[in-house]
Amino acid sequence: MELNERQKRMLDGKEGRGARKAMEILVAYGKCYLAERLIPVTSVHIAGNFPVLMDEGIEWLEDLAAEGTRVTVFTTKNPEMYDFEETDELSIPMAYQVRQNRIHNALKSLGVTLTYSCHHYLVGNVPRFGDHIAWASSGSQVFANSVIGARSNRDGDHVALAAAITGAIPGWGLHLDENRKGELVIDVGRLDLENYGPADYKALGWHLGKIVGTRIPVFVNLPRDMAIEEIKGLLYTLTVTGATGLVHLVGITPEAMTAEAAFGGDPPPFPEITPSQEEVNHAYLDISSSAEEKVDMVIFGCPQCSIQEVAEIADLLGDRKVHPETRLWICTSAWVKTLCKRMGLLADLRAGGVRVVADVGAADGPHLYLREQGVRVLAMNSARGSYYAHNLFAMDTWFGSTKECVDSAVSGRWEGRK
Amino acid sequence: MKIKAKTVVPGIAKGEAIVSRTAISFTGGMDPETGIIRELGHELEGQSVEGKILVFPTGKGSTTGSWQFYAAFKRGHAPQGIINVKAEGVVAISAIITETPMVHELEEDPFEYIKNGDFVTINADEGFVDIQKKEPS
Repeated sequence: MELNERQKRMLDGKEGRGARKAMEILVAYGKCYLAERLIPVTSVHIAGNFPVLMDEGIEWLEDLAAEGTRVTVFTTKNPEMYDFEETDELSIPMAYQVRQNRIHNALKSLGVTLTYSCHHYLVGNVPRFGDHIAWASSGSQVFANSVIGARSNRDGDHVALAAAITGAIPGWGLHLDENRKGELVIDVGRLDLENYGPADYKALGWHLGKIVGTRIPVFVNLPRDMAIEEIKGLLYTLTVTGATGLVHLVGITPEAMTAEAAFGGDPPPFPEITPSQEEVNHAYLDISSSAEEKVDMVIFGCPQCSIQEVAEIADLLGDRKVHPETRLWICTSAWVKTLCKRMGLLADLRAGGVRVVADVGAADGPHLYLREQGVRVLAMNSARGSYYAHNLFAMDTWFGSTKECVDSAVSGRWEGRK
Repeated sequence: MKIKAKTVVPGIAKGEAIVSRTAISFTGGMDPETGIIRELGHELEGQSVEGKILVFPTGKGSTTGSWQFYAAFKRGHAPQGIINVKAEGVVAISAIITETPMVHELEEDPFEYIKNGDFVTINADEGFVDIQKKEPS
């Protein structure tokens, strides 16, 4: 792989140990994919928090941050374990606070912008069409490629951090025009999409991810007025059961205003897929992992709730109150929580027994201590959250629509599909 | 028998093969404290990959997988070597940071020739995989 003078200096260790480590990672990664050169990146986002880093990961980060290594590109960070303003109220064990502080300090020392959010593109980390970026967090990565038309591979945190430090990423995969062409048609015309909501798109994504795998699908016959929450629902779930990095939504994806454009003039190399409602129904049941009808907690926010979603939950709850033996959490970013405060939503929700928790997501961070606090059965409107809560933390999960989840919080029992 | 393969991470690893025809997510899919595959309904659910040559088509799921693989490696529960049909980025970087020998894009279908329990050598320095069949019991 071709390196410029500055990159060679980094590899030789003349720009510090951290830069050398970062360049070694990129060179090994680039070699594996036969990249010819490193491409400058304009934006980086990193994902891991304590439950996935574990103590070994914290040490790795601290080692990287030692000797003053700094990122050279605007870099934001995914959610963490707890709301920094509510450590006492949420009874966060000291052992976790100590670990969280170590991660916080290492990232701060590296110069990462401490957003603790997975909707970082709602608050300033917004690449332009055609930009080369390095976004870890499989959901936002596929969002960047498919909705914004920026270019990112499915980079793990180690690659994304190396890109942030060196300012560049190996040019392979989705960074190159020839690798962004669609590979198979998914015709959703058989489904009754007019009556679909976000949860249905998530069930559809769950089913299709297994079939699509790492290939680039081209969706045809999607409604042009598909809501952003529905787009996110579909994309963020495709990357749970599959590993696609780019999805062409014909009429929505900038590079796919037509199916022909999505295939770059070539015929699709793989046969067409036409999902049925029966398959989507089956996915609904497949996502849920619980058999226990009593719900300990309803948790929203995978990805973190936008202000619109918080308002929708407040509307659905109305004057009702959360069941005394059930908790309802809305996970979001610090700035959406600030908006909730300013608009009076926070107080209203609190009166109904709802807690708005900042800096965390519903998939992973809080489950470590929630489990210790006796929470076992979760209800969620996120298929993605359900997968990670179950597989990482052995939570039993129910999956359904936002309304079904809110109703379950009020009755204390699962009110959705079983 | 020998099959040519492309190198992802150089090095030599030898061990017993454990084969999955379905993709693996290291986050959520594998317990880093034991090396046991824990994804519900996965074909390797309940089986350990520790010290084995792990053969699977490709990665999937969270991009945080490289942290979980790194933790499993530091705790001695990671596989010794990886054979993929196509190396997905998260699996490749997991192997890179732990210097775990890894190959992909074999000239023959690995699932045709490698079965659970076969003794497999990954020679990622020279770019091949060598398979010794398990004795029929």
